[in-house]
Amino acid sequence: MMQRSLIFSSPNPISPHLSTPSPPPVNAVIPERNRWIAPSSFSQPSFIRFQNYQRTLPSLLCTAASDSVANQQQQMASQEEQDTRIAKISSVIRVIPDFPKPGIMFQDITTLLLDVGAFRDTIDLFVERYRGKDISVVAGVEARGFIFGPPIALAIGAKFVPMRKPNKLPGEVISEEYSLEYGTDKMEMHVGAVQAGERALIIDDLVATGGTLCAAIRLLERVGVHVVECACVIELPELKGRERLGKTPLFVLVSSST
Amino acid sequence: MSAYRDKDPRIHGIQSKIRVVPNFPKPGIMFQDITTLLLDPKAFKDTVDLFVERYKGKNISVVAGIEARGFIFGPPIALEIGAKFVPLRKPKKLPGKVISEEYELEYGRDCLEMHVGAVEPGERALVVDDLIATGGTLCAAMNLLERVGAEVVECACVIELPDLKGRERLNGKPLYVLVESH
Repeated sequence: MMQRSLIFSSPNPISPHLSTPSPPPVNAVIPERNRWIAPSSFSQPSFIRFQNYQRTLPSLLCTAASDSVANQQQQMASQEEQDTRIAKISSVIRVIPDFPKPGIMFQDITTLLLDVGAFRDTIDLFVERYRGKDISVVAGVEARGFIFGPPIALAIGAKFVPMRKPNKLPGEVISEEYSLEYGTDKMEMHVGAVQAGERALIIDDLVATGGTLCAAIRLLERVGVHVVECACVIELPELKGRERLGKTPLFVLVSSST
Repeated sequence: MSAYRDKDPRIHGIQSKIRVVPNFPKPGIMFQDITTLLLDPKAFKDTVDLFVERYKGKNISVVAGIEARGFIFGPPIALEIGAKFVPLRKPKKLPGKVISEEYELEYGRDCLEMHVGAVEPGERALVVDDLIATGGTLCAAMNLLERVGAEVVECACVIELPDLKGRERLNGKPLYVLVESH
């Protein structure tokens, strides 16, 4: 059976809306050289956003107010470029109805991986956010987290730690059980992969209810790791995964509502 | 051909980071664990670089990675050489229309799937996995790509277990590995 053309569903309903992550608490210890740069929301020009961050994060080295007009214009231009990249990424994600079961609109990132520029932009958007933030661990959730996690880890100089289904990792593991719609599943991590005090990201392609990400957070926190943020390509906001993550911030590129 | 024989100075570091776990998944098997390699950013980067140096500028437009450890090495290579990444998966994981290839295990059979339309006829492809043992999985992967008219330029793995003769099973297709383990 051979097909000669790419088959895509008609333009999908994903809106290229970026969620704004909750900023770290005011008393968070953030190295001075780091500046937490928020993704855009289309309604706010970037210099206003930087000023908002000045108010909420007094411990950061805030340079927006002292920027020359030229710098501000450059920041606004790069924000437009970021939005262009997001729109492209959103447009190449394929929605498959009724998979894995009737009623589910499955967000298929494999078509994103077929677009070299869009895949590169996806990684770049995460790398731009996390480079220089003293993150030494990128944990990726099996299996689609294995696709996005390693390129990010390599670019920011962090190690990559696979979080796997049971009985896949060969060495000594710690396990965390978590709930599914029906029943439970288990996630495992190698003992010794991470050390107490390390700063980590957790990567997956998509966050739905947040159950999987929560299990990953617990695994890392049990060994004394600080989970700086969870990062996904796609969020399904109606499933309230963001709330389920509690104190752990969530950063996504694309938010998809039905 | 293996880089080990070429004695690239990075190979020793890569090999030293691979952990061997005895009796996994069952007694008698010495499991080659690449997760410890992934914990060393320099060694992981060297691994990817060795493949990228070999394949950049060779007009390769597809990197196919075999679930799940092929998903770790394939995408960084694909991104660096400007190719698309195509995941080859166990049954029922890919949501769209697929083609399937059955292959034999020690006991029983398994199946590898690829999305229809991911690869076009005439494209030049690599197949990437962490390790080649008997070559059964890699063969299934090559068959999937060739069935849609792609040309498999080479199979690329971090580790080869030469005693299991996977290289011969590849039907003359070239195999490139960084490390051999006897």
